[in-house]
Amino acid sequence: MGVLSAFMRGVTRLNDVIGRGIALIVFAMFAFLIMEVAFRYLFNSPTVWTNELTQMLFGIYAVMSGGYIMAHRGHVNVDLLHSHLPPRGRAVLDILTSTIFFIFTLALLYFGYDMASESIASWETSYSAWNPPIWPVKAAIPLGTGLLVLQGIVKLLEDIAVAFNLNYYTPEPQDDAKGEPL
Amino acid sequence: AEESFTWKVQSHWPGSSSSYEDSLVRLKTILEERTDGRLELELYEAGSLFKAKEIFNAVSRGILEMGTISPAYAQDKITLAGIASGLPFAFRNVWEAAYFHQGLGFEQMLRDEAAKHNVYWATDKVYPTEMVVKQPIDSWEDFTKLKIRSSGALQSFLTDAGAAASYIPGSELYSALDSGIVDGAHWGASQGAFSMGLYEVAKYHVQPALNIAGTDVIIVSQKALNKLPEDMQNIVKQALEEQFWFRTNEYQYKERITLAKAISEHNVQVNTLPEDVQNRLTQTAQTLWDEEGKRSDNAQKALDMLKDYLSELGYL
Amino acid sequence: MSIEILTLLFFGSLLFFLLLGLPLAFVLGGVSVVFLYFTWGFDSFYMVSSQIWGTMESFTLVAIPLFVFMAMILERTGVAKDLYRMMHLWCGGLRGGLAIGTLGICAVFAAMVGISGAAVVAMGTIALPSMLERGYDKKMALGVINTGGGWGILIPPSILMILYALITGVSVGKMFAAGIMPGILLMVLTAIYILVRCHLQPELAPALPKEERGTWPEKLRALRAVLLPIGVVIMVLGSIIGGITTPTEAAAMGVLGALISAAVYRQFKWSILQEAAIRTFKLTGMIMWILFAAHAFSAAYQSMGAQDLIEGLMNMIPGGPWGIIVAMMVIVFLLAMVLDPVGIMLITLPVFMPIVESLGFDPIWFGILFVINMEIGYMTPPFGFNLFYLKGVVPPSITMKDIYSSIIPFVIVEIVGLGLIMIFPQIATYLPDLLF
Ligand code: NA
Ligand code: NA
Repeated sequence: MGVLSAFMRGVTRLNDVIGRGIALIVFAMFAFLIMEVAFRYLFNSPTVWTNELTQMLFGIYAVMSGGYIMAHRGHVNVDLLHSHLPPRGRAVLDILTSTIFFIFTLALLYFGYDMASESIASWETSYSAWNPPIWPVKAAIPLGTGLLVLQGIVKLLEDIAVAFNLNYYTPEPQDDAKGEPL
Repeated sequence: AEESFTWKVQSHWPGSSSSYEDSLVRLKTILEERTDGRLELELYEAGSLFKAKEIFNAVSRGILEMGTISPAYAQDKITLAGIASGLPFAFRNVWEAAYFHQGLGFEQMLRDEAAKHNVYWATDKVYPTEMVVKQPIDSWEDFTKLKIRSSGALQSFLTDAGAAASYIPGSELYSALDSGIVDGAHWGASQGAFSMGLYEVAKYHVQPALNIAGTDVIIVSQKALNKLPEDMQNIVKQALEEQFWFRTNEYQYKERITLAKAISEHNVQVNTLPEDVQNRLTQTAQTLWDEEGKRSDNAQKALDMLKDYLSELGYL
Repeated sequence: MSIEILTLLFFGSLLFFLLLGLPLAFVLGGVSVVFLYFTWGFDSFYMVSSQIWGTMESFTLVAIPLFVFMAMILERTGVAKDLYRMMHLWCGGLRGGLAIGTLGICAVFAAMVGISGAAVVAMGTIALPSMLERGYDKKMALGVINTGGGWGILIPPSILMILYALITGVSVGKMFAAGIMPGILLMVLTAIYILVRCHLQPELAPALPKEERGTWPEKLRALRAVLLPIGVVIMVLGSIIGGITTPTEAAAMGVLGALISAAVYRQFKWSILQEAAIRTFKLTGMIMWILFAAHAFSAAYQSMGAQDLIEGLMNMIPGGPWGIIVAMMVIVFLLAMVLDPVGIMLITLPVFMPIVESLGFDPIWFGILFVINMEIGYMTPPFGFNLFYLKGVVPPSITMKDIYSSIIPFVIVEIVGLGLIMIFPQIATYLPDLLF
């Protein structure tokens, strides 16, 4: 069971490290937009690249967040039924509904991969005035979804452990808190 | 009973765009009539199933049977797309562009390239792209002082020519023009500007056109086309062929009456660019044309054909 | 299978899996994929990834992380806290004063953003802890934020109004002008409700005890706390109205303002900024994954023939012009519970607009009713997206049930406002007629 625990800790840690890094993109988006305003308003010379680059960064930022948010229990749900169930009941329910989660994310992973590999095959660019490569942004779709799927597997393993009293995983007390207060 | 077919058609036009009704609904009616209802088109407004830039891929994969696009959305697949979406300051009249497509064989070149992606390409119409501005352009200096909302190849062109062109999404265009973030914009020609409400805030309609081109295209999945019995295949191709001529002509008529409406309802004035401004813009444009030619042998061939044609017309 | 039965199954499974506790984003996405498989086949899943790509490419959404980031910085650095202390000192004697102050901030925020979501999350961060700390009833506080946070689409600028104008061909400027008075009306009605309710039940929004209300010098000193927030507002609104930035770029001006405020508070520290960035990432990501799936969901629903359903429904409606208008309002309200705004507009407007115009109604007025209805839909259980956005920022002690039940009186107030605008169309049409 050591392998399982290691896998679960590893995935969560991976999502955490990536998430904390990607989160900093907000500084770049802010800086580029302010730069564009300054270029246009103060120097009357708007750039061809700031808005598009901001846009591309935003796409990566958004799609790469899935796994990190899942690791931190940040995807919101309706807890009407959950709050009336004991932890084991909750875990059983989550195991059942995880089918819907995996149907969505695996379909997205498959076709996102398809879309990205087609884009990479032609080193697709945006054909705007600036014309940057956009395949890295498309590649972020299967990458971000892959991280989400991995974290979903971790969640499933946790639920299985709780439901069947298996010893490879013990819920930590703060897991119940479902996301930190802000 | 004979087999009947239903095609999903994703448009890149919003429902309020005149072309949605005039091009798509027209085609739907004609096809249903001529096939005695055996071919039905299910129309979807812009953004319903696929975003504009994804329509070519969806038709190419056969997920959608038909779609409408602008060639710019298929740039990564079709090397002629840059020329198809309009080289700036090339044609001076709509009929010249129409003859280039249908008479000189540019349409067939496009169709051959698209066929490699299992797509049947049929240009819906050729029409001009024209600017609206808040202050008239009476000199080269007026032009270079402009901040213009633009996109794609025209954005590079306007920037190279010395104006400050930036991209602003359609949803923010009205506000940007209204508050003066930009002083001018192009969104089709007068029908486009009218539908976006641009004449409310920009009172000068600039002529001549920035370009005249086959900017709207109807694409059909080859897979879906092959599934039809031969008579129906011919009906579809025939209808698309007629569509080009009918729509090109009708569009010019509607441009004219929309501009007249803008002039009477919104006090819009036509701002004809001074001769020297036109000449300088044409010079800048020609260096850009050569860039497009470098995209492929096919593109070079099309460009050479275009240049010969323009020389023949006495423009080069 | 008919579209009527498909609709019941489609929305029914949505409700089912949502109640079982699967996060909204995955319910929307998963149910779409399952239904696409049965109605269109395996290859149609490409549409799901394609919709996600389209959402990633939507420039106006860039405003979400920036406005959320702005709010996080203002909250972390204590600017927001001082603002609420000031409001408390000044209207401490007034029961519900903080709630009304929050409504005012919401209205200002609505004038800065063109999309909903960002405002709900930002106000949830800034206003909720301050109200709870001062003994406000949690349902009162939640309701105020949910209702006020939704005004972003009604008070200009509004991306939804631009979209409505684009689809129906009415003037954007007129739509913007038409939204102002209804926005003020809703604010006044909500404030009246708060005053009356808090007067009857003082325990919901306790007044500040006399001895804590502070002396005049204290009050005046506290007033300094509004200077920085007002500065931020001027930077954002000023740059939109003054033609310096687009609404999306204005969000970056807001962040700049918040950073300057942080420096004034001597809180311009990496630890604080990093924490704000990470929370922004979590909240933006939560919103974006819901939007990803919601866009896939509406596309799937449209591919099944949603528009035929609306056409069919409209043909069945008896009862004169007003019966038809009310029926349209009910349809929009119900769809807004489940679909994203773009989807609702694409499905209904092509069917509605010819009818509205043939009945001789003003499309501008109808547009305002449409927008308010969607706004109400977003705050109505079980799916209302704003409820989920709010759930994303509240402390764990607040459950979805609290949020759901908090909303009822506020929805009733908004429906009253909607009724008034239906009866007195001038509330919407006066300004556009005057200005254009
Ligand atoms: Na707004
Ligand atoms: Na709702």
